[in-house]
Amino acid sequence: MTLGDTISLSLRNLRQSKLRTALTTLGVSIGVASLAGMVSLGVGLQEQILGRFLQSGVFDAITVTSPSLLGVPGAFLSGREAARGGLRGGGRGGSRQPGPTLNEDAVKQISAIDNVREAYPNLRVPVQMTLGDFSRAITAAGVPMSSRGEGTFQSLSYGQFFANDSDSACILSLDLAKQIAEHDPGSITDKSLTLSYAASHKDGDESDPGNVFQVRRVDVQCRVVGIVERDTSPLLAGGGGFASGLTIPLGLAKTIDAEVVANAQSFLREPSQPKSYGSITVKVKQAQFTQDVEARIRALGYTAFSVIDALRGAKNAFIVLDIVLSLIGSIALAVSLLGIVNTMVMSILERTHEIGIMKAIGASDNDIRRIFLVEASGIGLMGGLLGIALGWGVGRVINFGANVYIRSQGGTGGTLFSLPLWLVASAIAFSIVVSLIAGSYPASRAARLDPIQALRHD
Amino acid sequence: MTALVETEDLKKHYGMGNTVVRALDGVSIRVSEGEFLALQGTSGSGKSTLLSLIAGLDRPTSGMLRIDGNDISSMSGEELSRHRRQNVGIIFQSFNLVSTMSALENVTLSMMFDGIAKPERDQRAAQLLESMGLGGRQHHKPKELSGGEQQRVAISRALANKPRLLLADEPTGNLDSRTSREIMELLKTLNEREGKAIILVTHDASLASQYAHRTITLMDGMVQTELPS
Repeated sequence: MTLGDTISLSLRNLRQSKLRTALTTLGVSIGVASLAGMVSLGVGLQEQILGRFLQSGVFDAITVTSPSLLGVPGAFLSGREAARGGLRGGGRGGSRQPGPTLNEDAVKQISAIDNVREAYPNLRVPVQMTLGDFSRAITAAGVPMSSRGEGTFQSLSYGQFFANDSDSACILSLDLAKQIAEHDPGSITDKSLTLSYAASHKDGDESDPGNVFQVRRVDVQCRVVGIVERDTSPLLAGGGGFASGLTIPLGLAKTIDAEVVANAQSFLREPSQPKSYGSITVKVKQAQFTQDVEARIRALGYTAFSVIDALRGAKNAFIVLDIVLSLIGSIALAVSLLGIVNTMVMSILERTHEIGIMKAIGASDNDIRRIFLVEASGIGLMGGLLGIALGWGVGRVINFGANVYIRSQGGTGGTLFSLPLWLVASAIAFSIVVSLIAGSYPASRAARLDPIQALRHD
Repeated sequence: MTALVETEDLKKHYGMGNTVVRALDGVSIRVSEGEFLALQGTSGSGKSTLLSLIAGLDRPTSGMLRIDGNDISSMSGEELSRHRRQNVGIIFQSFNLVSTMSALENVTLSMMFDGIAKPERDQRAAQLLESMGLGGRQHHKPKELSGGEQQRVAISRALANKPRLLLADEPTGNLDSRTSREIMELLKTLNEREGKAIILVTHDASLASQYAHRTITLMDGMVQTELPS
């Protein structure tokens, strides 16, 4: 029996019982739709979130820290490595060797690496911030001019970015601005606030230990030039963001950093010893160089971390999410497959006599089996196609509804459900394959029917 | 004449609970090329069982069964199905047409299983139906046909793959006497004009004696008489 004849005979059988075929197909399509919908939701969310990562401009950034930071390299590094999801560890954690110091020389050294656009220290300076009645001890973050239009600074709620690197200006987060002026945060723009810090005494006599602790108070008047909508998360601080809510130009931060007395260590520092930074940010020319540059920085003995690492962790998280969503979607598919089995078993029961006739006039067991397998895969194919259409439609509706809601909450909408071609193709293929599996039991039951018994059956 | 069908001590036993039903208990017969043989016997005598074995619908418990020199009992399932569609044509008492298919489709079905291309099988089926006097009824479903017409469709189907042996199991059992005569005449013609060997299972002694060259009577799964011997 040729394949063409098998197919036409199977389609004929499916047409014979239109209602049953239609209902079973509908069942399968609901299963496929739920599965495709769930996977599509997973993919859509992933694209949404990872897409925002990419847009944030932190993709080309590497945060470099010194392994000897905090003086407990082992403990610090192992924690850090663990946070990175155990991926590609620096391997220096256990050695407890003091690593190179992150100082201005290190910044220059790293800047010299191929494909590095710039490297700058991430300065966090402790200051007292005062504006009218509002006063708070806060950590001001220094950002380079190149951060303009990147990450957090993509959109400013009010005002604009710093005019130049040594500008006595600052940018507040919307949260912080609201704490100062709850109802009209925008009104703070252009106001001047005072940043105060303690500096070691300029005339301090090094030979007199008693004089070391003499400090003086320095006030810097800063104009609030802008207010940004959101803080970048601390994880992404390397991108020039800040967690405290106060940002100042990097030049200003360096000035303050050079003088500030933040802790006892600052007093004890040898004047000859160059000041070291907690971390520096390295920007590569293009995101594709990130991993390469990261590896080179590690080779120099530093600990390096980029958002790509975080993304890899995030991707793992999405794989888990996808699996969970697929499992939920699979339940409906499993139910609809039982529908296929049921339909086929019923159909075989109904057509027992016909199968008997076919076998008596020369159909082989394999002919009969193939007829039923083609019927099952036909249901699978139709169910798959219909399911994809259904899933797409429902996804669009939910997407539309969700976006309306997100916008009403002040967020930016996006594609929650993504239905790429590979998902369409694999959903249909999956539906056919699984239908074949579901149909294999009834088909072999039909094939094994004894012709004499089957002919007696009404 | 060469033996088309040859059995020797053929047995078919069924287990029914604790008892064994000896449907066939040592049957040795020979059917020659072009012969018209009647198998006679009461219900349960084993005549239908013998026909099923020759048709390849069932396997013997023991003994030898050769069709055209090939041992049926050693055939695989696949070979048995080929035997059914190429060597024998079966005609049933209850016609056994596929109710959802037209007369033409029913006739083409066995050719379809034999892998014959659609244009060829459609043409051959139409020719066969035409020769049976059903030219105008090709697209009728079995329900729309009379009993005699349905049996003619069944005979056309049995002839479709040009077997040398026709097996007829009470082919007139569901027909009135006039139509029965017509069907028997048709079988006789096929035997005489086309040289088809026919094994006719019947309980009607007069039909057997009137049309068959030879009548074998079975009783309790064994050959009782053979006329003319």
